[in-house]
Amino acid sequence: MIRLENVTKVYEGGTVAANDVSLDIQKGEFVFLVGASGSGKSTLIRLMLRDEPVTRGKIWVAGKDITTLPKWKIPYLRRSVGTVFQDYKLLPNKTVHENVAFALEVLGRPQSVIGPQVEQVLDLVGLEDKAGRYPRQLSGGEQQRVSVARSFVNRPPIMLCDEPTGNLDPRTSVGIMKLLDRINRTGTTIVMATHDHAIVDAMKRRVVGLEGGRVTRDEESGRYERAIVSEEEE
Amino acid sequence: MSRVIFLFREAMVSLRRNLLVVFGAILAVFISLSLAFGALVVNEILRVNTLAWQEGVHVIAFLNDAGANGVPADAHDSLLSEVRAWDEVEDAFYVDKSKAWIEYLEIFKDQPELLEIDPSILPASIRIELKDIEFHSSVQFRLDQNALLVRQVSTAAESIEQLQNLSSILNVLGLGMAVVLGLSAMVLIANTIRLAIYARRDEVSIMKLVGASNWFIRVPFLLEGMIEGLVGAALAVFAVWLGTNNLARAGQDFSLFRLDVSDQFFFQWGLVFLLFGAAAGVLGSLLGLSRYLRDADDEGQNVPQGV
Repeated sequence: MIRLENVTKVYEGGTVAANDVSLDIQKGEFVFLVGASGSGKSTLIRLMLRDEPVTRGKIWVAGKDITTLPKWKIPYLRRSVGTVFQDYKLLPNKTVHENVAFALEVLGRPQSVIGPQVEQVLDLVGLEDKAGRYPRQLSGGEQQRVSVARSFVNRPPIMLCDEPTGNLDPRTSVGIMKLLDRINRTGTTIVMATHDHAIVDAMKRRVVGLEGGRVTRDEESGRYERAIVSEEEE
Repeated sequence: MSRVIFLFREAMVSLRRNLLVVFGAILAVFISLSLAFGALVVNEILRVNTLAWQEGVHVIAFLNDAGANGVPADAHDSLLSEVRAWDEVEDAFYVDKSKAWIEYLEIFKDQPELLEIDPSILPASIRIELKDIEFHSSVQFRLDQNALLVRQVSTAAESIEQLQNLSSILNVLGLGMAVVLGLSAMVLIANTIRLAIYARRDEVSIMKLVGASNWFIRVPFLLEGMIEGLVGAALAVFAVWLGTNNLARAGQDFSLFRLDVSDQFFFQWGLVFLLFGAAAGVLGSLLGLSRYLRDADDEGQNVPQGV
């Protein structure tokens, strides 16, 4: 579903954010990208979203080489990839319903489709009774649920999450992770950058450890702590 | 269809959120197009009056009586045929002494003391309409050559020519003003749109994140500019129409100069100005968007937060 082949990203000024990274992520997998701040987790997410171009290497998303994708085709890539960020990225002047519907408006779906589909996904994230509220009227956890609902409303095959629980308390984080787990069970591939130990340990999914832009570890049913220990041993 | 409604709704929301800046842009379009449209209307008033004053007759040749003082009996007809054959002449017709008397009676009907004259002293004349007003001096010269028959040549052509020159100057001024002020309105709209984008930059980045194409992002801003241009132009056309109508009403008794302009003129040119306003709005928006979307397309090369 996602393939990175010798991907390197060097920013202006020489900062190496990704260094010869190769990864293969299968359809339906749930993959954690873990590592300290500055290890390159977010950069990898952005590269997979073509938010930035690679310096070297190739990235395939859903069978397409996105490193050679012309700029005008980038929106089409993003429509097949849901994204969830730490800061929710909701439109402040739109209600919960409008925020979620926006992802479908972009696709040009008719209102007859948008209405029921939004209601369905709001039901899934447990916000059906808050559809008319604005983001500022919601708690952090609720805002993140809206963000998850927006990214999942058009049923993308892939979801990229960058620290989705970074601003949330542990209990709320668990709620969000349950939601992502549920979405993953529908067959959606999820790649999530995090440094939330408890979540990684509890989920027991594939863990890719990063340090200085390099992959230091790639384990099935991994744990966060072991990743740190193994990095220290190296 | 739902997409069109959505994009239109987005534009309206943006207009509502930036009321003060939008008002500034509309005012700029209104002022510039009012001045340009006003100049056009003044020009039209001059044109209408120029035509009305002469009713197509540019030169009058008053003739000596035929069959007397050596003037042959058929001299009037010969001269009329000759004049009609001249290249400079569009049309010419003959006014005999009896028609001249009728005309005289009509002109001086309110001044009975002037009516006590011998009608036979009124001369016959040839009324000439020129193909172009510029030809008046050459026609006058040709008529003057026939001193035996032509008693006097009268022409208002010089005044008409001066009016036409003024009209031409106004045309150039109006056009220049329309261009300069139209451009400034466009720049103001571009600025408005740039401010609107700046105010909504987070929103735009979220739009791109969920897969909105550049055109999907652009269209509401283009609509916004178009609406600003259209409203400004509509107000300008309405203001000039209102002003001219009031002026015409106030000057109804002022018989020397007609101040009214036909509704057809207002309709035709009003439409042109509305289109111009809308186009200026769209162009201004494109101008305002171009730099932003170019920057947005140049994907990040600097180290972002949270590498």
